[in-house]
Amino acid sequence: MGALQLVHDVIDSQLVDRHQEKIGRVDELLLELEAGKPPRVATIVIGGGARARRVGRWMHACHRAVHALFGQRVEHESRVPFDAVRCIADTIELDVEGDALDSMHVEHWLATHVIGRIPGASGERK
Amino acid sequence: MSGRTVALSDLLGRVVRDATGRKIGRIEELNAEISLEHGASDYVVTHFSVGRSRWFDIVATGNFVQPLVRRVTRATGYHRYEIPWDWMDLADPARPRVLRREEELPRGS
Amino acid sequence: MKKWGELALGVVTSIGGFLEVGSIATSAQGGAEFGYQLAWVLLLGTLSLAILMEMTGRLAAVSKRTYADLLRERFGYRFFVLPLVAVFVVSLLVLTSEVGGVSIALQMATGVDFRWWAIPTVLVGWFLLWRGNFSVVEQGTAMLGLVAISFAVGALVLHPTWPTLGRALLPSLPAHDRARYWYLAISMLGASISPYLYLFYSAGAIEDDWTIEHLGVNRITAGLGNVFGGGLAIAALVTAALVLAPRGIKVDRYEQIALVLATPLGRAGFVLFIMTLFITCFGSTLEIVLAIAYLLAQGFGWSWSENLKPGKDARFSTSYTVLILLAALPIVAGMDPLSLTNISMVVTAASLPVTVIPLFVLMNDGDILNTHVNGWASNLALVVIALFSLALLVAALPLQLLGGG
Repeated sequence: MGALQLVHDVIDSQLVDRHQEKIGRVDELLLELEAGKPPRVATIVIGGGARARRVGRWMHACHRAVHALFGQRVEHESRVPFDAVRCIADTIELDVEGDALDSMHVEHWLATHVIGRIPGASGERK
Repeated sequence: MSGRTVALSDLLGRVVRDATGRKIGRIEELNAEISLEHGASDYVVTHFSVGRSRWFDIVATGNFVQPLVRRVTRATGYHRYEIPWDWMDLADPARPRVLRREEELPRGS
Repeated sequence: MKKWGELALGVVTSIGGFLEVGSIATSAQGGAEFGYQLAWVLLLGTLSLAILMEMTGRLAAVSKRTYADLLRERFGYRFFVLPLVAVFVVSLLVLTSEVGGVSIALQMATGVDFRWWAIPTVLVGWFLLWRGNFSVVEQGTAMLGLVAISFAVGALVLHPTWPTLGRALLPSLPAHDRARYWYLAISMLGASISPYLYLFYSAGAIEDDWTIEHLGVNRITAGLGNVFGGGLAIAALVTAALVLAPRGIKVDRYEQIALVLATPLGRAGFVLFIMTLFITCFGSTLEIVLAIAYLLAQGFGWSWSENLKPGKDARFSTSYTVLILLAALPIVAGMDPLSLTNISMVVTAASLPVTVIPLFVLMNDGDILNTHVNGWASNLALVVIALFSLALLVAALPLQLLGGG
């Protein structure tokens, strides 16, 4: 892992957890700026709010409004330290437990309360 | 921690000015490498790629289109600067400033 | 041996998949109003689709990512929002037309009003997506879709004048009703070249685990399959030209299109028409709803696959569930299926640039395709398609207003 181009190689890439399960995309990268030091690639952000903000402030406002409609004040965003990155290739592998991520909240909620209630949903493969 | 945090997308596309205040382009790419300083292994940004246009970079890849785009961009005077991190002043991330004059900046391919 | 089986299946899928409510409706209207003259539009649409599908298939086989994946990764989220919204809205519109097509077919078969059939249709469709894996969905509807060959049979029985048909495969200008002619042309192009088709094809290549070894299969499937499928659309146009045009029948209800098969093939033709309408529209319903769900899942990075149990990709399965149920609503509300179809075809044509132009960039990216980037011929074809897609975008609204019957 030598040189890394943040726009070309990292942002918007597919993320997988330590079990190779898809857990979203790199929606934003946070850099730490400290005087006299090069900017440090600090955090991967996964979440719709970060995506919406990239499109524009108006989009982010709409996104928050829609969430408020559903009674959610806290956005389910995940901030993963960049040092959790194990491998950067076509996908970026993170050494995290997908189930533990906040950004997977909707996936789990749907799996439990909606999809899981319908017969035939459980199991691995069809 | 005395550091500030800035989002990558807040830096991308920002107009970069040189030490004399002249507009030299926009931030197109951040290039990072692993730094093994202080026993930690973190990715740090080593240099910024600053280009004259936001759009050329998207198109300028690949075998067929790239030479074509190169010819077009050379004709229109497009060039990319590779600016080392310590020449870039990000005190105001919305208004990045290079601490050198445009003539001194290293050009990319 | 397995490769030949895969190949045959792939070709059959494309044949059965090409014809659906849009192609049937627009080809029939074109044939009824202008005889053979618009056949060249179908040829252009077929060739363009074959080229676009081969390319998105090649993308998936070489890069192991779908076209939707690459749209997000290579262009970034800000740009991605544009094709996302465009394809979502347009495909949803076409989806409702397909449900309309199935409902009309059932109305013709049973006499029960079409509005009652929308909900049962989407529920059965949903059930097939819920329980079936990708092969079942893809191959099942493909095999059954072969019933569309009835149009070819009908056309042959009607003894078309081959030289005249041959000449119609070259572009020509209309002698009358210019606005109507070009309006029908644009809707036939929208019916032939639908973004959901090449997006679905790209995702299907990943579902089927395609690799570089499949590039040959990809070319033949995309090429032959669509050429045969396009041939069926031309056959539909021919039957309409020979049955409806001489009688001065302009199509404003689906029931009238049944005549094009009932005339040459009698009662059997009538039954075959209903079966063809039912099966091709039902198959397309499944394909479109999956295509939209794939686009969402791949764009946002969710887990997705028709081969996974729904609990393993909850956001993906919720998406197709909600979408297919939504699609029933306009039909239940009584919207005219044929008008719905006509509008959705023109809107589809207008939306093409936003998925065709980025494809040009991707197909030349050596990081993604290595040695399999486009050669000059492929690029030339793609540029031509991109240019006329821009023309369609500009012409769509004026033509809808001036020529939309």
